[in-house]
Amino acid sequence: MNSYGLKWAALCAGALIAAGCATYPDTATTRQIGEKMVGAGFSSPPSLLKRLEQDRSQQICSKIAGEKLTQQEAAEVVKLARDSIQYPASGRLVGNWRIGDKLAHNGAGDRIQRGKLEKQKENGGLCQNCHALAPDEINVGNVGPSLTGYGAQRGNSEAIAKLTYERIYNAWAYMPCSNMPRLGANRHLTPEQITHLVAYLIDPQSPINKK
Amino acid sequence: MPISLCGSRMLGAVCLGFAVTAPVPALAQAGDPLAVGRQMLAEDNPGELWLERGKALFHEKRGPRNASLEECDFGMGPGRLEGAAARLPRYFADTDKVQDLETRLITCMVRLQGFKEADLVRTAISPSGSSGSDIEALALYITSRSNGMKVDVALSHQKERDAYKAGEYLFFRRSGQTDFSCAQCHGEAGKRIRLQDLLHMTDKKGAQEVASTWPAYRGAHYVVRTMQWRLYDCFWQMRLPDLVYGSDVSIALTTYLNHQGNGAVIRVPGFKR
Repeated sequence: MNSYGLKWAALCAGALIAAGCATYPDTATTRQIGEKMVGAGFSSPPSLLKRLEQDRSQQICSKIAGEKLTQQEAAEVVKLARDSIQYPASGRLVGNWRIGDKLAHNGAGDRIQRGKLEKQKENGGLCQNCHALAPDEINVGNVGPSLTGYGAQRGNSEAIAKLTYERIYNAWAYMPCSNMPRLGANRHLTPEQITHLVAYLIDPQSPINKK
Repeated sequence: MPISLCGSRMLGAVCLGFAVTAPVPALAQAGDPLAVGRQMLAEDNPGELWLERGKALFHEKRGPRNASLEECDFGMGPGRLEGAAARLPRYFADTDKVQDLETRLITCMVRLQGFKEADLVRTAISPSGSSGSDIEALALYITSRSNGMKVDVALSHQKERDAYKAGEYLFFRRSGQTDFSCAQCHGEAGKRIRLQDLLHMTDKKGAQEVASTWPAYRGAHYVVRTMQWRLYDCFWQMRLPDLVYGSDVSIALTTYLNHQGNGAVIRVPGFKR
């Protein structure tokens, strides 16, 4: 070490809070600090605190800005997603579009306030928060792609019904780490609720598919 | 846009006797048809009423020790408020912690005035439609003393660097039944949840909006809200557990966002829908 380096080392050792000596923690240390914070940062009952624990896919999908998903990671997320998909006991993937319409516009359910779980008969589908729905609706989000005319563009074949069901049940089976919640796999929605959303998306009578 | 609060439409006969620079939030970038109405409301920001109350609370002798907050050190020395909020969160040697404005305020209310920390934390976030909490009013007043100054979160202490990197990690950490991190809603430009515009916080301009507009008057709640509230409410909407008021998670996220927002000119009270 040259004299300049020695001088800096001495300064840093001597002054804990000296500006210029502070460094950014590396990835592993950052993770350790962050996880410790998560462990102490929330105050709900233990059964609800579990929601903060990440599963394997969530860990993979938590890349900080600029970090890319590797092909191997993407493949793992897709595989886990495919394996998670369960179908309704009835075997029918297309339910009632009228029920689906209501669900799509329901953004409530399962929120936690002051330790209490939001009381709801069932969770809403949350669709309206992020997706354009029927053509005349203004109060819709745009975080996700527009679903206006979803069925009109794709038809309502068995294959489309299955694809649609699977994409709602676990969107990461097709788009690993996309912004879309894995609504079925995470038990936010039941398989039966998802069949109603499928109907809402692909039924020719649904407002989504009207001009 | 300088406005006088005397004779303003919403405040009627109330005259606060000073002019402020009205915050005009970046509205309608995503084509929100309600933006015009929000803009009109923002020009008559009722948050000014909280500001006066915060000023009175700051100087008044209160609490079990019958002391004011005039000796509170927000990082610029005891009682020096000019530019203090612009540099928060920062490390404080006397608590050995990185603190944001609200946690630092609580430290002073406990140490100088003798209030109980648990009581302060429990009442910090006021019910909607109420007259607001002392902390909300105080946080607004103290921040307003940095109005017109630039956000400057320096990260010179190791613990500030740790908080910054942890905040970045937490911003992108997905969990819960919605699989959300902050980035799902705040990682892209021009996005909305229903009609509500979402700030693009991984972009300098979006982070600057965050760093310079809280505390803000929240129209839908009829009260002034703080950054701690904003974070709590996001975690609620994400279906995650209750964020502890003043937790290290909240400090880390605020450190990350405010540092990204360095250079923004502070204008509070902000105005939110």
